[in-house]
Amino acid sequence: MASGSSIGVGVLFENAEVTTSGRPVLRRNEVECFLLSSVEFDSEDDPPRFTTLKSGNLILTTHRLIWIPSQSNGAVPSSISLAAVTHIYSHKKSIKSMFHSPRIRFQADPGAIVVTIVFRGKGDIDGFLTKFWECWRGRAWEEEEKSESETSRSGSGTVAQGLYGNDGTVRMVGLAGILRKEQEQWESTDKSLQDAFQDLNALMSKAKEMVSLAEKMRQKLLSAPSSQNGSTDDEEMGSKEEMQQWMLSVGIISPVTKESAGALYHQELSRQLADFVRIPLEQAGGMISLTDMYYHFNRARGTELISPDDLWQACTLWEKFDVPVMLRKFDSGVMVIQNKSHSDEEVMSRIRMLVTKTETLRAGVTASDAALTLKIAPAMAKEHLLTAETKGLLCRDMSPDGLRFYFNLFPEIDPTSQHIAKDFGTYGVWVKATSMLSV
Amino acid sequence: MRRRPGIGGLQKAAAARDQYRLLGENVAKLRTDMMKEQLATFRSQLEEFARKHKNDIRKNPAFRAQFHEMCAKIGVDPLASNKGFWAELLGIGDFYYELGVQIIEVCMLTRSHNGGLISLQELCNHLRQRRKKDREAVTEDDCLRAISKLKVLGSGFEVITIGKKKLVRSVPTELNKDHNQILELAQGQGFVTVEEVQRRLSWTSGRVTDALETLLEEGLAMIDNGHKDGKCRYWFPCVSSVYSSIGSDP
Repeated sequence: MASGSSIGVGVLFENAEVTTSGRPVLRRNEVECFLLSSVEFDSEDDPPRFTTLKSGNLILTTHRLIWIPSQSNGAVPSSISLAAVTHIYSHKKSIKSMFHSPRIRFQADPGAIVVTIVFRGKGDIDGFLTKFWECWRGRAWEEEEKSESETSRSGSGTVAQGLYGNDGTVRMVGLAGILRKEQEQWESTDKSLQDAFQDLNALMSKAKEMVSLAEKMRQKLLSAPSSQNGSTDDEEMGSKEEMQQWMLSVGIISPVTKESAGALYHQELSRQLADFVRIPLEQAGGMISLTDMYYHFNRARGTELISPDDLWQACTLWEKFDVPVMLRKFDSGVMVIQNKSHSDEEVMSRIRMLVTKTETLRAGVTASDAALTLKIAPAMAKEHLLTAETKGLLCRDMSPDGLRFYFNLFPEIDPTSQHIAKDFGTYGVWVKATSMLSV
Repeated sequence: MRRRPGIGGLQKAAAARDQYRLLGENVAKLRTDMMKEQLATFRSQLEEFARKHKNDIRKNPAFRAQFHEMCAKIGVDPLASNKGFWAELLGIGDFYYELGVQIIEVCMLTRSHNGGLISLQELCNHLRQRRKKDREAVTEDDCLRAISKLKVLGSGFEVITIGKKKLVRSVPTELNKDHNQILELAQGQGFVTVEEVQRRLSWTSGRVTDALETLLEEGLAMIDNGHKDGKCRYWFPCVSSVYSSIGSDP
């Protein structure tokens, strides 16, 4: 059924890519603007096409309408490009509409199909409509095309790229020419800076230009030799350092916000976080403290700070989704994020390797031994050893020397002939190891 | 123009070359100066906008993304809220959250040379430097408040008091690699002293004391106060015994 209907809908709808945690994969410069739950698509023109598009989350971005099914009932995440929308009907208020679920209709190519968005849940429908209009009118996708063609043109041409162009483009036009050009360039930069920062609207309209100017300045500053003359002031060094640090923290272009996600805020935040943690987690070696993650995540979000409480809630929601990461709380009250795969199996197999060596079979291991071998903190090692004990891999031995752990041999002992020492398996190795001591 | 032969011609050519070089240098210097100046303007403007128009920026997701990009590219911290009346009075608003993020950042950046233990005073200095445009300086009390907001994230991030000094610890015991280094050090004699660790690993005394105290609490170390030289020794029975038993293996 799903495939049958997607042939028809396929013209209008494209399949939308989603991440493993179920967030849409956005294109370059695409920004999420609004999110509503329990939304379905319908069309009077051709109802059978829309049968699979029931009860999902609707995400409005600057480029697309993305629909993601809330349950995996065979429906696939789909999207409509805003470029295909030809008309948005205004939201009619009538007596009839008071009894209906609110709906918004728009017309889209190809075939001028009138599509109805039905909102079964609660949400700010008017807010959505306003944003829908804004995004559609904004035509962000066109800018993309424009800038792309521009870059391809300027790549081949010899248009001077402002003051900070590469030196290779300077033509032999005489000294005066070079100097004049130089001056013109920095004057124009000066002017555009002044214009852009007149007020917020000016900056908004010039945002693109300013971003590329920032990029040029950055390139120039980072490539400039630091020891140009002996008197490089601290400030310059400082600013350079600052910039390099910041390289790490350019991140989430479209952060989930309370404003855009509304009631789904924590849920969507949780998904976005799950997608985000992967890289910092890898850099930290598979385990990272929650405070460190709080920093990474917020830095990536720029001005859209989340509170510690929000982060914690987002992490606790992971249990409900199928995500590859988990929140772990130690007895000490410390909370960390770790990979699910990292968690037990791998560590357990390494501990097994450690305790089945000849000398450790005989003498056992302590938390500090494990720490030195596994290259983790002693407190962590102890935690792992205790987990291994509860899993039946290890046995403990409390002595004045401290707490030691031995390989658990009990499962290998045959209850019917427990007095006969075996000469195979780990038990056999253990017998050899301990008898070596007595020799 | 025809080239003129003779020493005079050569000298003239050399002089001209020198002049060109001088001019080139001047232009280059002028250019970097100009760029620095423009960069400074750009930065201060961005900072001001981040502070003044924060809410407007947040209302427009598409512009917000571009604004962040600008900030990130030229190294402006977009977190620059003023403390404001309500923050001061009730501790609400973004100010303390922003400060929290910056505090963690300072801790993480300095971690490589202090092991995740930084004195409150030093932390404050870093923060003030970062927020030098701000009219009101960040106080130690602000830091404490901001840190207390991070409590929800577990007990890994805390303020501890050693002697009279307040220190901020950003690495939880479970992830602290300092302990491993001490254990390795202890493998030699079976014990370490504060002075020895300080000298061998060139750590501050606060860092050493904190790490050893934790190891004591964890039951990995034992303390020996009765030695002749009056120095407190931290014994690691577990480490040394395994070391010797492995060492005595044939």
